[in-house]
Amino acid sequence: MTAVAQVEQWSHPGSFTQLRLLTARQLRHAFADRRAVVLNLVQPLVMLTLFGQIFGSIAGPGALPGGVRYLDYLMPALLVTTGIGAAQHAGIVLVREMGTGMTARLRSLPVNLRLVLVARAVTDLTRAALQLLVLLACGAALFGFVPSGGVPGMVGALVLALAVIWSLIWVFLLIAAWLRSLEVLTGIAFLVTYPLMFASSAFVPVEKLPGWLRAVATLNPVTYAIDAARDLTIGGGSAASPAVGLAATAPLGVAAMLAAFRAFRRPLSR
Amino acid sequence: MSAPAIRTIGLTRRFGEVSALDGVDMEVAAGSVLALLGHNGAGKTTLVDILATLLPPSGGRAEVAGLDVVRHAARVRRRIGLIRQDTAVDQALSGPANLEFVARLLGAGRRRARERAAELIRLFGLREAAERPVRTYSGGMRRRLDLAVGVVGRPAVLFLDEPTTGLDPAGRMSLWETIGRLAAEGTTVLLTTQYLEEADRLADHIVVLASGRVVASGTAARLKAAVGDRCAHVTLAGPEDVAAAAAALRAGGYAPVPDPARRTVTVPMAAAADVPAVVRLLDGTDITELNLTGPTLDDVYLALTQREESRV
Repeated sequence: MTAVAQVEQWSHPGSFTQLRLLTARQLRHAFADRRAVVLNLVQPLVMLTLFGQIFGSIAGPGALPGGVRYLDYLMPALLVTTGIGAAQHAGIVLVREMGTGMTARLRSLPVNLRLVLVARAVTDLTRAALQLLVLLACGAALFGFVPSGGVPGMVGALVLALAVIWSLIWVFLLIAAWLRSLEVLTGIAFLVTYPLMFASSAFVPVEKLPGWLRAVATLNPVTYAIDAARDLTIGGGSAASPAVGLAATAPLGVAAMLAAFRAFRRPLSR
Repeated sequence: MSAPAIRTIGLTRRFGEVSALDGVDMEVAAGSVLALLGHNGAGKTTLVDILATLLPPSGGRAEVAGLDVVRHAARVRRRIGLIRQDTAVDQALSGPANLEFVARLLGAGRRRARERAAELIRLFGLREAAERPVRTYSGGMRRRLDLAVGVVGRPAVLFLDEPTTGLDPAGRMSLWETIGRLAAEGTTVLLTTQYLEEADRLADHIVVLASGRVVASGTAARLKAAVGDRCAHVTLAGPEDVAAAAAALRAGGYAPVPDPARRTVTVPMAAAADVPAVVRLLDGTDITELNLTGPTLDDVYLALTQREESRV
């Protein structure tokens, strides 16, 4: 019975080894095509330039609290809103992979299925982190974004934004694992993305929004995440806002993660 | 006697209203090759998916390598290899990288994984393409790599779901040789197929599945014997002749298998002595050709599955 003995000799890999192998494969895919990598890094810069010019042109001096430059006001918001795109990407790739034989192969191997999702999340968090670093670097070098919070503030905002993005990624992984359709996922992504981005404090102070939209923005967890990123970089808010920002998004992320694990366990359809 | 490598007892699986498996009882002896024969939709893939722990059964039990596939799914996964209809390799990676990835997930160290990958690349004749990404492979090479990935961990039981579908004749031959070699090394193989020649050539034992039920089971020789000693293959001028001939034969107490598309009727017979009677019954129909053969597996398959369908 040499056939059986072989596998028995190989010791079952622990969770950390499995996660490392699964993530390495995903990262290889994510960075295989340099054109896609560059395009991905450019995206938030386009947002910064366009929104900075469009909205900045009507936000004259004194339009924003504390007389802040519009660009400085926009920058911390983009740290968070960039993550919405990254989170969508996680969902899209998951659905696409579930349609290939590779997911079935992994299911027939002694692999912890939860780690397949975690590897996906880590990969998209890495992609987002690179986007944010490039955004911050270009913001500082090209647009003179020098926040009063200094380097600690920037690092703080970066970490906070990544924590929020981690939660958003899990929301989209849940939708992907649950509905398993690219068409439905992109449809939901479209419906969810614009309200999440615009019905928030991202581009205009909440107080300046019309009443009903202000109510939506107050319920939008992205608002609190952006407020926190703003406080850490350009200041002006309460010291508690980072905690509030995390409190508004982390429970959502944890709940989505647990639900995504369950949804992903369901058998694949053919 | 050693325990069977695969055993199912009253296995059922429903998808909503549809019953894909309807009480399948089956045993596969360790080290043997079993072919699961059936049309599209007969339940072959569902059965394989349940045995490979991808799909839970709705009822009944299934054991692989002596382990219950539901309660001990994780342990079953350490003992099986699965090759599904859609190729399950990473298109962006090279062949060896695919093999190493799975070897490491099965617990091989870095060096051992690389050695095993090199060994399989050689064994499966993939050396010339080794370092190219899989997406540049031909269909046959990709299928061979798929099979190689399935046996990385030297599984005790190997499941192959229509392994030669879409391959050219040379690719099919080479895959048959590979499967034969794995079986000779003691791996239990369960393969599904629509190709009767394939089942005849590779399998020790054949199970015919129709509408989620086992309609016949046995060696190729025994299945053929069950259908009859001889078969008359009658080719007719037109489809209406096929219908008329089938009706006449049925009235004469035979069980003809009409195939209007090919304008043929196949008539299983107990003995060659039946030939005059069959010809008499065909008097008046427009026959263009008549051949007498021993039954092929095709005849078995058609006879059994049509009998099953007419019962529904």
